[in-house]
Amino acid sequence: MVKLDEKIEEAIKEIFSSDKPWVTIVWDDPVNLMSYVTYVLMELFGYSKEKAHELMMKVHTEAKAVVSTGSREEMEHDVARLHEYGLWATLQRGDQAL
Amino acid sequence: MSNGSDSQPSGFTRHGNNDYVVEFSESEKEVLINLVEQIIELLGERSDNNSDDPLAAMVGITSHDSPPDDEVLLRLLPNAYADQVDASEFRRYTELTLRAKKSAHAMSMRMDLKSSPDGQIEVDHESANAWLGAMNDIRLALGVRLKVQVNSHEELEILAPDDPMRGVYAVYSWLGWLQESLIQALMDDAL
Repeated sequence: MVKLDEKIEEAIKEIFSSDKPWVTIVWDDPVNLMSYVTYVLMELFGYSKEKAHELMMKVHTEAKAVVSTGSREEMEHDVARLHEYGLWATLQRGDQAL
Repeated sequence: MSNGSDSQPSGFTRHGNNDYVVEFSESEKEVLINLVEQIIELLGERSDNNSDDPLAAMVGITSHDSPPDDEVLLRLLPNAYADQVDASEFRRYTELTLRAKKSAHAMSMRMDLKSSPDGQIEVDHESANAWLGAMNDIRLALGVRLKVQVNSHEELEILAPDDPMRGVYAVYSWLGWLQESLIQALMDDAL
């Protein structure tokens, strides 16, 4: 009989989430309009106006913000789309210091 | 404050469900065509283009992987990773596609401008996004040359009248205003 204890559960969780530890970061930029950054986040990620505005304000006040999380491949796709619209974006492992 | 005058600049306004209308003077149209053609040319440039393997180029892979030397190009085609090895690898497989997408935005804007005899232009949501991307790339390019920083607007406002950068800054500011008008018209939509 197989039984899960906390340790095994944790290990299994890690196996299934191992492809998800990447993040896309948008960096502050003196040229991009605040409204434009908000609009692009809404268009590309389907975020609500409120969520997009909140992320934009975080970029503006803290110089950067994580705008999406997922697999490395997904984050490369997000960064490419953000670059297409002129936002300054990079991706990295989620456990790396920002 | 005046309102409702025909000569009052309004930028883009929303018409109906999915259309955005703007009217440019002959000189404004000329400025925009000039800028958009320069950005198209810039995006097509690469010193070592000729040495690219044509088959690799066809599938969007370049032989080079170093970031552009030019400051403006580097801002338009930035590194995707802080790590140089990862950044180079990513660039090798994606830079041509990124250039093509940005060029497509600019060419769509150029076509709208060129095909309007009277300066009135109507764009749908998709074309509006192309305009936003292209206008933003032009502003990024001008911003690099103007060395725009977070608080540099005061300095740029007081450039000497004969400083050519003063004119560049005027164009930069006008484009920002135009871009803002289109964003506001589009955001109304999203409400």
